[in-house]
Amino acid sequence: MTKKYDAIIIGAGVIGCPIGYELAKMGYKTLNVDKLSDAGEGSTAASCAIVRAHYSTVDGVAMAYEGFKYWLEWENYLGNVQDEKGLAKYMNTGSLLIKSQGHDWQKVKNNYDVVGVQYEEWDVAKIKEMVPVYDMHEFWPVKRPEDPDFFKEPERMLEGALFCPEGGYMSDPALSAHNIMRAAEARGAEFIFQAEVAAVRSENNRVLGITLKDGTQIDAPVVVNVGGPHSHKINQMAEGVYEGCNIKTKALRHEVMHCPSPEGYDYLNDGYHTSDGDIGCYYRPEAGNMFLIGSEDPDCDPQEWVDPDLFYAGKESSYRRNNQLTAEQWQAQTYRCARRVPDMAIPNQPRGVCDLYDCSDDWIPIYDKSSMQGFYMAIGSSGNQYKNAPVAGAMMAELIDKCEKGLDHDKEPLQYTLPHIGRQIDVGFFSRNREINYNSSFSVNG
Amino acid sequence: MFSTFRDFVMKVVLKPTRQVMDLKIYVCVKHVPDTAATIRVGTDGRIDEDITFIMNPYDENAVEEAVRLKKQVGEADVVAVTLGNDTAEATLRSAMAMGADRAILVRSAGRPDGITTAGALCAAIRRDGPADLVFTGRESIDAEGFQTMFRLGACLDMPVASNVVAFALEKGMVRVTCEMEAGDREDLELPMPCVVGAGKDLNQPAYPKLPDILRARKKPVTVVDQDQLQVPPSTSRVEMVRLETTAEERHPKPLEGSADKIADAIVRILRDEAKVLE
Repeated sequence: MTKKYDAIIIGAGVIGCPIGYELAKMGYKTLNVDKLSDAGEGSTAASCAIVRAHYSTVDGVAMAYEGFKYWLEWENYLGNVQDEKGLAKYMNTGSLLIKSQGHDWQKVKNNYDVVGVQYEEWDVAKIKEMVPVYDMHEFWPVKRPEDPDFFKEPERMLEGALFCPEGGYMSDPALSAHNIMRAAEARGAEFIFQAEVAAVRSENNRVLGITLKDGTQIDAPVVVNVGGPHSHKINQMAEGVYEGCNIKTKALRHEVMHCPSPEGYDYLNDGYHTSDGDIGCYYRPEAGNMFLIGSEDPDCDPQEWVDPDLFYAGKESSYRRNNQLTAEQWQAQTYRCARRVPDMAIPNQPRGVCDLYDCSDDWIPIYDKSSMQGFYMAIGSSGNQYKNAPVAGAMMAELIDKCEKGLDHDKEPLQYTLPHIGRQIDVGFFSRNREINYNSSFSVNG
Repeated sequence: MFSTFRDFVMKVVLKPTRQVMDLKIYVCVKHVPDTAATIRVGTDGRIDEDITFIMNPYDENAVEEAVRLKKQVGEADVVAVTLGNDTAEATLRSAMAMGADRAILVRSAGRPDGITTAGALCAAIRRDGPADLVFTGRESIDAEGFQTMFRLGACLDMPVASNVVAFALEKGMVRVTCEMEAGDREDLELPMPCVVGAGKDLNQPAYPKLPDILRARKKPVTVVDQDQLQVPPSTSRVEMVRLETTAEERHPKPLEGSADKIADAIVRILRDEAKVLE
């Protein structure tokens, strides 16, 4: 017998779960389906889970600043639900945005002023006082270690940084998704796992439901694609949807490194999340007193766009395209970080995580309906939407509900009021039909 | 400043002198697949080498101990040696970044067995030496032959201590503690020169900082082709006949019932099926 729901959400990651949660709060009978074995086990588990406010657009900053309020009041957001696995914790380290040629930090500062983000301007002396392990020379432009100029002695000092006291990371991104799932279930939401979607059924351009790989058919008038790195494949299952998007998504391979903190420096407790465009890296504390070092995709680094199924199966054409860390990128990211932190000792064996971004053409997400009635998308997170997950959940739920009740979102885009900071954002900003937004940083910075 | 005359005598007249020796220390290292790599067998029956390679982890302990010894004795030449193709130079650079002074790459094609490896390393060390001490890792994590250091010792006519977890050089004698099966330990005394196979618990390797890595890029690597060493061919060899990846299949069996019943079932399985209990 075919099961029937009010809404099916494809994906139970950190964005799929809050969409199910918020729709369930509105009274929808929801089902999240996921091909893996539990919530948050996909690309969410590999997320650096950084919470920071700096974005290259005002709406980006506004969403991120709104998001803080959810992470800060995590138990309240979850409706004080119990989770047998425990609760993820928000670690507020504060956030440094290094003033560098690699970031349009003046634009970020203006955006902060528009939105009302609290920040301070720190000069080099202040940074050295607060983070004595940092060498504040300028190393720009970003280079690879193979470049003969990589080890050139720097000549100039940086100007300083913007410091946000509000910023940090979530201790366990997979657990955070699991927490939201439990909260959603407390509101009547359902979840099924090891359930891979094989087809999106429709008739007369209206979604009917999904078919799983095992042949199970599940009906719903609303289907939401939150498939992460598989988002483009799911869009291709829904007739005309992929072709109807001006902005496309595809999977980008990314490596994140874990390197021990210098001896004697308690980075875990004393360190700051740092966005360091001068060296093309961002870093934050990781368990074991490690530096977690991510890349900001500098121009000198090759980009590997991959097939997610081949990538996760380790069957891409080269190991540089599979889910294994490479020596070259290990050296690139740790050596760059070691320019900023000269006392960092670098192990021979790469350690860290290799996973995928679901990347849009302009690194800005798509939170939108589609050309198929009833089919919606929360995709293209591009490595920068973990922090916005609870906001995205609430915003998508409102978008879906309004559209199902007659809103023509393409003609009159939903204006969504961020409940904590009171600011209104134009959800049309995230439209699948937009032209490429050249205000974007075209990077994980968003 | 001296607080008393006795203090002066102890600190100046009778101050302990540091043992200063000019040692030639060789460290044999191997370029191996990363333990985290997904190993696949290619159509040629060999492992697909399109993966990340690193220094054999046990060799890191060997390099570390050699470098510490150099700091202790004051004057020493620490030489990293490997047998491999040109990509193995990366492991030699890692050893030099950790403190080795220079390196020797014995260039060879293919994946030689432990017999050939020991013969080539022996010839390279003899050609460069003589050696006062040779460190190796206790085994390589790819072949796990656990025999190269013994063959090397035989070739160099040196005694060998394996799986060493404590090392000291005192008055020209090497004193080691070796970890045996089932956690037993054995203390040995070896005259120099000797071969020491480093175990994991011997030390905590100190990894290099960026200036060390930069310096290592400029340290000399002597490259010698294996043929140039004219190693006498061995009468025996180890040939790999077939290589297969093991398919891991897990068949979990739920144990049901009260806590007592489940505990009894676990004990029975461990004793009668897994045979890890008597």
